[in-house]
Amino acid sequence: MSSDAGKIHAGIVEVKTTHHRGFSPEEVAERCLSKIMSVSDSAPPAIKDQAHAFQENLRSVLVFYMKEAIKSDRTTVCNALLDAGQKDLAEMIRRL
Amino acid sequence: MAFTGNFMCTSFKQEVLQAKHDFTASTGHTFKLALYDNNASFTAATTDYTATDEVSGTGYSAGGGTLTNVTPTTSGTTAFADFDDLTFSSATITARGALIYNTTTGGGSSTTETVVVLDFGADKTSTAGDFTIVFPTADASNAIIRIA
Repeated sequence: MSSDAGKIHAGIVEVKTTHHRGFSPEEVAERCLSKIMSVSDSAPPAIKDQAHAFQENLRSVLVFYMKEAIKSDRTTVCNALLDAGQKDLAEMIRRL
Repeated sequence: MAFTGNFMCTSFKQEVLQAKHDFTASTGHTFKLALYDNNASFTAATTDYTATDEVSGTGYSAGGGTLTNVTPTTSGTTAFADFDDLTFSSATITARGALIYNTTTGGGSSTTETVVVLDFGADKTSTAGDFTIVFPTADASNAIIRIA
């Protein structure tokens, strides 16, 4: 039994902020990846290499589909603006 | 006063033993996270949310943001709870720490019982941007709330 048995602990949060922009798909993917998987420093080298390779593949898939979601959401926003008669604003969003 | 590291509030430890907090996803209690500047004077004896020294600014409302619970689980002999990351969008704010509190303690309503005080280590600022609280990996060594 560990000496921590029965103790209640608080974890450590990280704070990430941006200035005059939102997070990029790459930045969000990084956070997402750390929730999906972690690679132990003590893992055997072969397993560690394989895990890192999988992590990198997962990262590119996440970034791609996040960008797809952003594009799709902009289409939705553009149409909402067009429906509201805001043609110029809709065009601005479409060109982002 | 100032923030002096992360700690669980003593009242929370007692209330856990009284089955007053439910961290279950969807059906559990509603927990909120409020942000504070470094004048905040929290101690382990803090029992309730306070608006004193709470940050203010665009994109932030008094009381803070509502957290999304992740149902507690276990790993080995450790039980732990987690929350989804919380983002204050298009926000212009500076905060040094946070307080997580339960707004439905014991199944009640409009409660403010404290859970944990979080020290960010330094002032964190967003300017017309996103201010995101990233919760640690939900495992036996890092999760935000762990009972070993």
